[in-house]
Amino acid sequence: MAGTVPTKEDILSAFHAALPVMLGYLAIGLPCGIMESKVGFSPFMSLLFSMTFYSGAGQFMIPSMWLAGAPLYSVIASVSFVNTRQMLYSAAFSPYFSDVGKPLAFFFSATVTDESFGVSLDKFVTDGTWTPRRALLVNLMSMTSWTIANAVGTAAGPMLNLPLAVTSFAMTSIFVCLLVGQPLNRTTAIVICVAFVGVLACKLMGLSGPAILLGALAGVFAGMAYEVAIGR
Amino acid sequence: MSLQDFLILYASVLASMIACRCIPLFVLKGRELSPRLSQALGLIPAASFAALVANDLINPSAFVANPLQATVPFVAAAVVVVVARKTGSLIWCAIVGMVAYALLMMFF
Repeated sequence: MAGTVPTKEDILSAFHAALPVMLGYLAIGLPCGIMESKVGFSPFMSLLFSMTFYSGAGQFMIPSMWLAGAPLYSVIASVSFVNTRQMLYSAAFSPYFSDVGKPLAFFFSATVTDESFGVSLDKFVTDGTWTPRRALLVNLMSMTSWTIANAVGTAAGPMLNLPLAVTSFAMTSIFVCLLVGQPLNRTTAIVICVAFVGVLACKLMGLSGPAILLGALAGVFAGMAYEVAIGR
Repeated sequence: MSLQDFLILYASVLASMIACRCIPLFVLKGRELSPRLSQALGLIPAASFAALVANDLINPSAFVANPLQATVPFVAAAVVVVVARKTGSLIWCAIVGMVAYALLMMFF
């Protein structure tokens, strides 16, 4: 990879890809910050969390579990369990980082979220000009948006009142769009159906925390089983 | 939450998050992957997106409490599917999705 400083083209290309995620993060980062203020987070604490831990699901879970009276160890275990899905994302990116230096690989992988995973993986597959450096820029731009919204939400606290269900549906819509963009064949149809059923089964059994990880793993295993069965 | 609780929480969840985000990439990066493993990695995007969508849409307790209202996310998602097929735009999908969801919630 030539040079370490991103070019103007890198920045524009990454910004174009990151913009939907950035706007979505502005919408859901505010209510997340408001919730964090209710458990005593200062804007500095929110900044620290958002710039390092950087997880929407995790940062929503912490105040809601704490306010519900969950013990500290339970909050830590639940949040950590929910974040195990990140292992799948990290593994999926590995083929695209084979020739990338450790610092870039670390900063990229340490800043991947559900949304930036979707955007960058789609770009790696469909856009021949996409590079790990642009993928890192997408992560950093999205993180900046999330961090600002989160800190503002914490500072403004109860003065702001946003309908969380509506704003968070922006993220759901982004996932739907990325799912629709997947190449549809018999294997992916099986993967998608089994992942859906897997998540439903987890939720019915009260396993909401690991539902995404287990559902996705069930989908991958079903897809592999089908490929083996048809001799591919 | 006291400062001590905050620091314990922060250090613990950050350590587990960095491990989950970084270890698989560093373990697999630069290795000659077997065809089966490559095949499996290729299925992760579809599986992950499906699981993320399902996780957002499916809420068994909402179906028990108010079945009609519990279908609202599914209907809004169906609208987004149409927009995604026509435009392929993440921004349009996010905007239309929020508007559809808000309008449907007003009626149900």
